[in-house]
Amino acid sequence: MVDGQERLLPIANVGRIMKQILPSSAKVSKEAKQTLQECATEFISFVTGEASDKCRKENRKTVNGDDICWALGALGFDNYADAIVRYLHKYREVERDKATQNKATCISSQDKDEESSEDKSNQPPHQQAEAPSTRV
Amino acid sequence: MRQAGTYSGILSGGISGKTGPHLLPLARIKKIMKRSGEDVKMISGESPIVFSKACELFIKELTQRSWMVTMQGKRRTLNKEDVASAVMATDLFDFLVNLVSESGNSGEAPPPLELDTFTSS
Repeated sequence: MVDGQERLLPIANVGRIMKQILPSSAKVSKEAKQTLQECATEFISFVTGEASDKCRKENRKTVNGDDICWALGALGFDNYADAIVRYLHKYREVERDKATQNKATCISSQDKDEESSEDKSNQPPHQQAEAPSTRV
Repeated sequence: MRQAGTYSGILSGGISGKTGPHLLPLARIKKIMKRSGEDVKMISGESPIVFSKACELFIKELTQRSWMVTMQGKRRTLNKEDVASAVMATDLFDFLVNLVSESGNSGEAPPPLELDTFTSS
């Protein structure tokens, strides 16, 4: 017997997100939270279906993040697509940095040299003043 | 196919997954995606991450619109009828129309059908 709740997003998480956007004095009925829970779940199915269709037409087996972004745009959620593309790129950067850091840790375990882990960063490398010169 | 545990562990700040940037559990999102259709067999590791953000934005938008209805009614408690009104008023949420009207009618009599027979002499 499948637990009905497992087919939905967890209500606690949904409630937390709702709280983020509402004024602190606002109250939300349990039924409203349940409705949001079901709507958000349906949203996932709806968008996934569209993305999956696209993959099928293009003879691809795997639905990826770009397909989801595309589907969001196709279904009218353009304003989400922009924010998510940025979020996805940041996620990919983090993943890349983790991989780079792991490599760097292995190679230079003695070197505690400053290593800018942020790519495309225009920040000057962190410089430490070694010997402060005092003038008397 | 990558498992959800790999990156959710990295970005969710540990085992609990409660703290960290993802507000929704990635494994659950993946389950829902898989149930959406028979065609959905393989899902990239990024997809649940993308949905985690998309759902957050969706929930916030729907909540905000629902709250506007609540305020129009000069109330401080957002109820499910407010959500239904927001869905009806937004073209973007057309796909939810059946869902909110179902939950609205639960426990009530179904709308009258045109099957009434009138005895006419």
